[in-house]
Amino acid sequence: MGAYINSLSCISHHNTISEDFFFEETPALPSSNFLFVTAPVYKDYIPANTIRRTSHILKMGISAGLMCLRNAGEEKIDAIITGTAMGCYEDTDKFLRSIDDNDERMLAPTSFIQSTHNTVAGQIALLTKCHGYNFTYVHQNLSFEYALLDALLLLKEGEAQTILVGGVDELIPPLCELFERAGHIKKTEDLRHPIWDSKTNGYVAGEGATFFNLSAKANEKSIAKISGIKTIQKITDAKDLLENSNSFLKKIGLTKQDVSLVLSGINGDSEKDNRLKEFNTQIGLPIAYFKHLCGEYFTASGFALWLASKIIQKQSVPTCVFPNSIVPQNIKHLLIVNQFNDQYYSLICVSQC
Amino acid sequence: MSTRVHITGMGIISAIGDSVEETFLSLSECRTGIAKINHLQTLHKNEFVCGEVKHSNEELNKMAGTALFNRTTVLGLMAVQEALKNAEITNIKEARTGFISSTTVAGMCHSELVYKDFFEKKSNENFIDSHFSGISTNEIAAHLGIDAYVTTISTACSSAANAVMLGARLIKNNILDRVVVGGVDALSKFTLNGFNTLMILDTEWCKPFDENRKGLNLGEGAAFLVLESEDQVKKYDKKTLAFLSGYGNANDAYHQTASSPEGHGAFLAMQKALQVAGFDARKIDYINAHGTGTPNNDSSEGIAMQTIFENKVPKFSSTKAYTGHTLAAAAGIEAVISILSIQHNMIFPCLNRLEQMKDLQITPVTTLEKNVDLKHVMSNSFGFGGNCSTLIFSKN
Repeated sequence: MGAYINSLSCISHHNTISEDFFFEETPALPSSNFLFVTAPVYKDYIPANTIRRTSHILKMGISAGLMCLRNAGEEKIDAIITGTAMGCYEDTDKFLRSIDDNDERMLAPTSFIQSTHNTVAGQIALLTKCHGYNFTYVHQNLSFEYALLDALLLLKEGEAQTILVGGVDELIPPLCELFERAGHIKKTEDLRHPIWDSKTNGYVAGEGATFFNLSAKANEKSIAKISGIKTIQKITDAKDLLENSNSFLKKIGLTKQDVSLVLSGINGDSEKDNRLKEFNTQIGLPIAYFKHLCGEYFTASGFALWLASKIIQKQSVPTCVFPNSIVPQNIKHLLIVNQFNDQYYSLICVSQC
Repeated sequence: MSTRVHITGMGIISAIGDSVEETFLSLSECRTGIAKINHLQTLHKNEFVCGEVKHSNEELNKMAGTALFNRTTVLGLMAVQEALKNAEITNIKEARTGFISSTTVAGMCHSELVYKDFFEKKSNENFIDSHFSGISTNEIAAHLGIDAYVTTISTACSSAANAVMLGARLIKNNILDRVVVGGVDALSKFTLNGFNTLMILDTEWCKPFDENRKGLNLGEGAAFLVLESEDQVKKYDKKTLAFLSGYGNANDAYHQTASSPEGHGAFLAMQKALQVAGFDARKIDYINAHGTGTPNNDSSEGIAMQTIFENKVPKFSSTKAYTGHTLAAAAGIEAVISILSIQHNMIFPCLNRLEQMKDLQITPVTTLEKNVDLKHVMSNSFGFGGNCSTLIFSKN
């Protein structure tokens, strides 16, 4: 099972909406412990009469979805699959507060209507008149991976020729407070070390929306190939993860030696990164990092897939993601290893077309 | 893609019973579970009727043999436990076993109780760690030791149908040997008030497919099926309750909450399900309709049925007036009811239905029918975001 990426889009903290931007002058240290997105001009994507009522995640998700289709030069797709762990939290929060504030009386319906997790996928279907397969995965930090797995299966079954698949999660003020008070967020004074040298707890939180236009066959626009994906519900230790990655590569006809670069999902939460850091040492391959750019969020692996595809396409590794001085050349295969809190491990292999 | 998908177990808890057996008893006595609100803490307590599960959280946790789960998780766990027992599965690890759950509001039943205090009184610091959709799935999977393929789907009121569909595809593609699939939602102030703002709640018992229908009654519950491959069934000499022979997923792409007047998405979902099943629409003996009792749904769905069946619509009814609309769980609950119909050769009628709908030429079943040979049963589920799904269950 595999799929070709024919176009992609990414709304993230950095200026990834610009086709030419590739972290040329981006520092290796995040500027804040909350990384909000650099927004595109939303009215280019969202109908003007609805934009005021459209929540943050819907703006990001719809724009990134349509941007991906426009980048592909066509808006016709057979299926839409999204992953989002938190769904439309801004609207959920708004409706929850209005229930309490108004004693369950005279509430406005808009925030409830737009609070369901499938709203991004539904709105993209509505705007593109796509009557095909429409699915939304909401499984924590593996939401995007399960969306991708489904897309690959659908292509294999021949049920769709082109699929729009994406991951989106938002960071809004009440969520910042929720994560901070739950003890998840890195202290500002601890931001002075890069995530790969972090000795403190907590992570930098982020948000984003990434979309991919996939097909089973390559075409002249194909950027990269997804050669395989695997989710791992739990690992026992770093050695177990190494065995998982070896068997995963073997299954898709590769060995460790074929992999030019590993994109590692550590987030700077020192203790919880331990096993993945140990894996990074044991695998003996060049390691690059990405979570200091997009922040930690439930569908950050979507950002990782976007970055991996760009690295393959440009055959260039931005300095800010790669602390080692010997930059790999001729990058044929790239392995993304993601995790959160030492749980929700996943492997995605991205290859040259 | 050759294997048939066997259904070897099912489990259910809803307003009409804590088990498959109790559910069947209520259905065959045409007894509704929709009543005055008892457990949900809401200011609308005396205003609306709901399909509540008739136990407190404490009672449910005691029944499940657990101590701490929120209502969503414990309801899900109880239905899954029954489904596994029914399928006589004791050793999870003997085969590649997956778990696919679905929910619309997940831990909301708990979050909404502590939300205000969290922000105003600075208490309940970590409730967020139990709020998100995947948590209850993981808790249930961990409790049962399932770790091959564990995921959660949320496509509004069609969620569980998509969980069933995904499970079937994973078996057909030889990715799993067996998989527990379904959905769960607990009642919450959030959803009750939400549907109330849309003005689609009936204050009395809902009347699906009645000319004077006013809206839906909310319900809660969970239902799960065990799907197994042909090889798995042969290897362990399993008893098959029914087969899952068709599934279809489409998007209405008409409006965020309303269905298109002609039910285009519903039509496409039914059409796809028939294509997967590989037989003609005329083979369908009965349809367990989505039939929520809202003016919009029943009209749109009815017209879609008339279109796909070219005015030879099979017998149909909605069982929402028994259980209430259980949102993500609805398609799971109605899957169990469809299989009960097949097993017992019975059609459970629409309740509270008095007057023929003017915009439809078709009439639902309104009295209990026994000794009807049901070879193929179709079940529809539609939701916000235009999500439409159809499942087809077969006797042989």
